[in-house]
Amino acid sequence: MQSPPGQEPETSLSVTPPKKWAAGVPAVVHALEYSLEQTSPRKTGVDLLTMNQVGGIDCPGCAWADPAPGRRHRNEYCENGAKHINDEATTRRITADFFREHSVSDLAARSDMWLNQQGRLTEPMIKRPGSDHYEPIGWNDALGVLARELKGLDSPDEAVFYTSGRASNEAAFVFQLFARALGTNNLPDCSNMCHESSGFALNETLGVGKGTVSLDDLHHADLIFLVGQNPGSNHPRQLSALEQAKRNGGRIVAVNPLPEAGLRRFKNPQKPRGVVGRGTQIADRFLHIKPGGDLALFQALNRLLLEAEDARPGTVLDHDFINAHTSGFEDFARHARTVDWDDVHAATGLTRQEIEKVRDEVLRSERVIVCWAMGITQHKHGVPTIREIVNFLMLRGNLGRAGTGACPVRGHSNVQGDRTMGIWEQMPDTFLDALQKEFGFNPPRPHGLDSVNSIKAMLEGRVKVFLALAGNFVRAAPDSEVTEKAMRSCRLTAHISTKLNRSHTVCGDTALILPTLGRTERDVQADGEQFVTVENSMSEVHTSQGRLEPASRRLLSEVAILCRLARLTVDGVGDVPWARFEGDYNTIRDSISRIVPGFHDFNARVTRPGGFQLPNPVNEGVFRTETGKARFTCNERVVPRAPQGHLLLQTLRSHDQWNTVPYTDNDRYRGIHGSRHVVLVNPADLSELGLAQGDRVDLVSIWEDGTERRAENFAVVSYPAARGSAAAYYPETNVLVPLDSVADMSNQPTSKGIVVRLEPTGDRSRPAPA
Amino acid sequence: MVHEEDDGRADGDGVTRRRPLREWHVEETVEVAVPVRTAYNQWTQFKTFPRFSAVVRDVEQVRPTVTAWTIGYGLLRHRFPVEIVEQDPDAYLAWRGLEQHPTHEGEVEFRPTESGGTAITVRMLLRPHGAAKVLTRSAGVTGLAARLVRAELVDFKHFIEGLGQEGGAWRGTIRNGRVQHDTPEPPRSRVAQWPVG
Repeated sequence: MQSPPGQEPETSLSVTPPKKWAAGVPAVVHALEYSLEQTSPRKTGVDLLTMNQVGGIDCPGCAWADPAPGRRHRNEYCENGAKHINDEATTRRITADFFREHSVSDLAARSDMWLNQQGRLTEPMIKRPGSDHYEPIGWNDALGVLARELKGLDSPDEAVFYTSGRASNEAAFVFQLFARALGTNNLPDCSNMCHESSGFALNETLGVGKGTVSLDDLHHADLIFLVGQNPGSNHPRQLSALEQAKRNGGRIVAVNPLPEAGLRRFKNPQKPRGVVGRGTQIADRFLHIKPGGDLALFQALNRLLLEAEDARPGTVLDHDFINAHTSGFEDFARHARTVDWDDVHAATGLTRQEIEKVRDEVLRSERVIVCWAMGITQHKHGVPTIREIVNFLMLRGNLGRAGTGACPVRGHSNVQGDRTMGIWEQMPDTFLDALQKEFGFNPPRPHGLDSVNSIKAMLEGRVKVFLALAGNFVRAAPDSEVTEKAMRSCRLTAHISTKLNRSHTVCGDTALILPTLGRTERDVQADGEQFVTVENSMSEVHTSQGRLEPASRRLLSEVAILCRLARLTVDGVGDVPWARFEGDYNTIRDSISRIVPGFHDFNARVTRPGGFQLPNPVNEGVFRTETGKARFTCNERVVPRAPQGHLLLQTLRSHDQWNTVPYTDNDRYRGIHGSRHVVLVNPADLSELGLAQGDRVDLVSIWEDGTERRAENFAVVSYPAARGSAAAYYPETNVLVPLDSVADMSNQPTSKGIVVRLEPTGDRSRPAPA
Repeated sequence: MVHEEDDGRADGDGVTRRRPLREWHVEETVEVAVPVRTAYNQWTQFKTFPRFSAVVRDVEQVRPTVTAWTIGYGLLRHRFPVEIVEQDPDAYLAWRGLEQHPTHEGEVEFRPTESGGTAITVRMLLRPHGAAKVLTRSAGVTGLAARLVRAELVDFKHFIEGLGQEGGAWRGTIRNGRVQHDTPEPPRSRVAQWPVG
């Protein structure tokens, strides 16, 4: 265990060649090193051996599914999961003395990493108007301040209730219930910024906004596409499923602007071949695509499949499926046949021959799955791209059969469950009617604010109170300077949190820190020890229960905080048993079972080993779309372009990072060490721009509002990024993402498609030799 | 030893588009003294196989078209996923193993008998891997497989005749591995419909 850093660590940039494989023994070493820096060997052992096990802790790191009970490894976690769980279980503590020593202004000047490294929050704190310091406050007083502010609003719509995907089903359900009892649907969440485009596209085309595949499907697919995702760093346990697929004879096509290590080779540290052997090759074929070129790629593939059918009628397309289960095929086919190869090349950077080889892979495969993540969703045309992926899957009937389907790979561990529980600003009347029937009050019907619109409303003074259930909204949101201005304009900001982050330091006139239990900790309420539930990326609902003693006796659970706040704020609105909810989470689940479709017998089913899987209508031949069938769509062609002298920037996470929280300044797989202020650019582009590795530049984004958004003093790194593109770390470069730059339809910030120029600063300091 | 289709078997029934096996290693038939509907309904409650089978330890219904079977003897266990590729109520189902090496496929036919009972026929084609392919050319090995299937069928006969009625039913139709729903919305599909971000 090490003490928290007193000062910001001083490190210098060094660059080494990118790794060609992921995981292996180094992953184990790095995971243990970080874990033992944070906490004791005993706590590390308890956490890791119960993580992702039946009756244990659900890893908060990502939403990847667990193997069936009985088929899990004794160590069912990845390097990043181990780091994350022990980052939460840290023995470091933030006390009142810390806040006496550090003013809010001081903390606002600190890095994300430094703030996180200070340890767990231990007691409620308040920053009063005019003060620059947080000071201790009792729970009753803290919740009283918040309740008074909420009750004093001219309209409930002057409050916003933000949810991070770490929140459990129970906390999320109670949170949305509280907001709606107060009278607002202002329920933005982190989904608005990660997979909103997936939900919109899948709901429109297939009638359900979730993925359709299970782990078994991946294991038995003939061909898997990994598009716009980096499994090695962001969902490493997916590599185990891909390894299994490869061993079953499946093949993989990876499509990405960066040749990430996890797309190339996986050394499974739990297998001898991963420890001493060469591991498993992941991608059989890698398409080095330009950012945002995926729509054109799938349009081209679809044209090629139609032409293959023309050449050999009755052998390529699944006419039975198309005729019986889809609508819009003829219009789609006409549109697809007009795809222009020059446009495809301009959009993708790929040759026709490269794409034809992928078509041949498809034609050889009876069962195909497409996985994608934010490399797809965070583009202006994210929704059309996913619709085109659905077109691609439907052409050969790759939906609703074993080993086939659509697989949006989600990040936060319960981001899918929170939405299922009603965290959405546009919930349908069926859900609101069920709430009314269960609790006897009429929930508000007008749609509320999502994340982007919440920021705008704060800026315009229409929102005065911001309450966050976990997360780090200020750093997760786009247009950092604008978002920070919005938060500072609030009368009150409050965060239910486990650890310190920048959102506590960029705050309203009054600010509250409401410290809560983590996933790793025991949650004991009036009716005894509780567990919570989560839903993973593959719609499996299961329990999570911590084993460690809480970091402080003054912590309350998320459910307890929200139920107590509700009793002070909306007591008497309807017939909501807030006190019973707090004392016994079974009662929350009983209510959920009567409100949320698919959750019948919730308590009984979720306590079975492994929990239960929510059915997916697509896998039962049901498409609840406007046409009652799966819908082919015609999507306009898009060729993302940057003006001469500019690049298309994608923001991304480093390997040593969990969401907005970097654990170190290193990005081992990409060979970046000692600094996060780097921009990765193809050497040919650097040459054209007259830049060289080590040059210092400001990143300046171009947007139609004419505002100059600038991220200062980044080091240029020559990197095998796709031509015409650049990559830099999130959240440092969120400042470049204009608030109005959003995906069509889903309103998701376009963090993967920002036009930037690199302005030399004149400082030519170079990184240390590799 | 592989048996090939004789002239009496049609290449599909013209309605269900089923594609029967053209060759098989095992073919066994048993008559059970319950109506076809009862026999079919009980057979397709796959989770109940461990109640009568000597080798099936567990069956997990992953989704309507996918089951995961655990078979075993003594302490030995083997789990494998199976896809139901065709299913016609009261008449027929066909499966294939999802494991690549080794794997198997098969079909079950349900036919009414003159006495009001049901003739159940199971055919299986084994697809072993590597050197094990030699085994399927051995009459001894295929004979052993046939005896195992026969024993399972007899156990099922005693089970369903003892019950007298089925313990549940799934009346859906499956074509080419995909559920064909007859009703607008099967109850199981009722899940949250709103988009997930």
